[in-house]
Amino acid sequence: MRYIDYKTLLPRSVAGLLVAPFLIFPLFSTNLATLSMFILSGIWAIAVMGFTLILRTGQFSLGQAAFMTIGGYTSAILTVQLGWPFWPSFLLAGVVSGIIALIIGSVVLRVGGVYFSIITLALGEVVRIIAMQWEPVTRGSRGLGTAPPDPISLGGFEINFAASAVPYYYFMILLVAITGLVFWQIGRSRLGGTFFSIAANPILAEHQGIHLMKYRVIAFTVAGVFTGFAGSYYAHFLSTMTPYMVGLWESIQIMIMSIVGGISSLVGGPLAGALVLYALGIYLSRLPVYGIQQLLFGAVVVLVLLFLPKGTGLVDLWDKFWRKVFREPDFYEIPSEEPSQE
Amino acid sequence: MSLLELNNVTKEFGKLAALESVDIGVEEGEVLGIVGPNGSGKTTLINVISGYYRPTRGTIFFNGKKISGLRPDRIAAGGIVRTFQSNVLFEGATVLESVMVGSYLQYKTNSWQAFFDTKAYRDEFEEVVGRLIELLKTFELFNDTFLPAAGLSHGYQRMLGIAMALLAKPKVLLLDEPTTGMNHEEAMFVVENIKKISEQGVTVILIEHNMKVLLDLVTRVVVLNFGNKIAEGKPEEVMNNQEVIEAYLGTEQI
Repeated sequence: MRYIDYKTLLPRSVAGLLVAPFLIFPLFSTNLATLSMFILSGIWAIAVMGFTLILRTGQFSLGQAAFMTIGGYTSAILTVQLGWPFWPSFLLAGVVSGIIALIIGSVVLRVGGVYFSIITLALGEVVRIIAMQWEPVTRGSRGLGTAPPDPISLGGFEINFAASAVPYYYFMILLVAITGLVFWQIGRSRLGGTFFSIAANPILAEHQGIHLMKYRVIAFTVAGVFTGFAGSYYAHFLSTMTPYMVGLWESIQIMIMSIVGGISSLVGGPLAGALVLYALGIYLSRLPVYGIQQLLFGAVVVLVLLFLPKGTGLVDLWDKFWRKVFREPDFYEIPSEEPSQE
Repeated sequence: MSLLELNNVTKEFGKLAALESVDIGVEEGEVLGIVGPNGSGKTTLINVISGYYRPTRGTIFFNGKKISGLRPDRIAAGGIVRTFQSNVLFEGATVLESVMVGSYLQYKTNSWQAFFDTKAYRDEFEEVVGRLIELLKTFELFNDTFLPAAGLSHGYQRMLGIAMALLAKPKVLLLDEPTTGMNHEEAMFVVENIKKISEQGVTVILIEHNMKVLLDLVTRVVVLNFGNKIAEGKPEEVMNNQEVIEAYLGTEQI
């Protein structure tokens, strides 16, 4: 894991430019299956960014899907039960999810470590059970049927979400871009360095004046806010919110996507991991073998851990490829000869 | 009242008292040496002052304020910064990344300003990085700025530790055996640098076994044995103290 990655800026910018044509993808194809694959992997990418940010502070959250559920239900309840319009409900979904993350984080992150993982794991189940049992509000296991986001008119030009998936696609791009920008800026600002130091050596970081708990709560809350947005958008894109939509498997899937993408990048890694694995998952789910998706995801994780250890993933593979092509010295290598001492 | 005052400080691990009713007063600007045989409680003393351990009994005052029981980060922010006995590094970090994190306590701008990259933050950043580069040069680490810290030689890793502690703007610097595992020249280099630090008005407390270093550097020595303070005074006097000699060499059996 790196904090100041001057050597990776160029290769990763180029990688960004290579995927830039996706910005205008709907001009070439409006195939619903393809579009929704991209939209959903974008939504997952946001959740994965959140997970990676928490991992940057040395904590392993196994309940990130819970914040998608919270975000999804917040806007679903507001729009369906209270008749709110979509956009304020969407914003409030992120806020509510963030506040819940702040409250839970302030308590659970006092212990941290394995306890944190276990409690976040339980959190996912608790949220699901509440959604099942709180019938008058959530309509239990039948779920809430959500409406598409309200149309927006921009200078006489109407964006109608109900008509096709294309507006969903562009709004997903916008959402991912905003989230990515925030996370990228966090990563390269002092916060990113603080997170890095906490994961790299909490005891030393604390003796250098860093309040571990404070920064862990910040990471958990920021992740909660954006995962809440993702959850709300997810619910309205699929036009339903039920307790079964996101659960333990989705939390694990977020973790796998993060590991496969690589945690050395807060934005590129999650994007790569989410896109590749979501596409793979869609392809696998067409095969007539039950559970093959879980099985192969597990195999992918084992492969990544074997061949790309220490948090490296797809993004680092790309960096390595870049360095090989342009014969740049390997940043991580320690020079064999001692620096001139004579 | 002294700058740093330990009143009756006791630290017990179960039934074992690593420190027993230790009273130490540290004056501003002095270089205090802490010596004692292995297991005498020297490192425990530093751990208690820096907040890594809470004292079982007794209180520690810094600048007249009680600091015992505070978290390590509060104590570090208050101006008491330590180094570690073994080489403790940020895993995977380069020299630059390590000292960058070390310098965070110098910033007055908050995380929001850093996030939005305001002008105030950028000005401060340039200032801090300037000081940081100067310090890297002082410790002869500048040529290794972009190398992984784990790749430095043992001696230079120790110097990196001291540089990181210094970047946290300490009023009191706690050094836990800064010259272990160094050859003579390296040790003398560290001694020179500690002298410079002390001249800049930083109070230094150091644990040291190397007598040459001690006699050269410290103004006062505290001797610990089995968690008790057995002697205190000028280094030459203390080294001739009968009790101290017995603690180090044992008593003569006839």
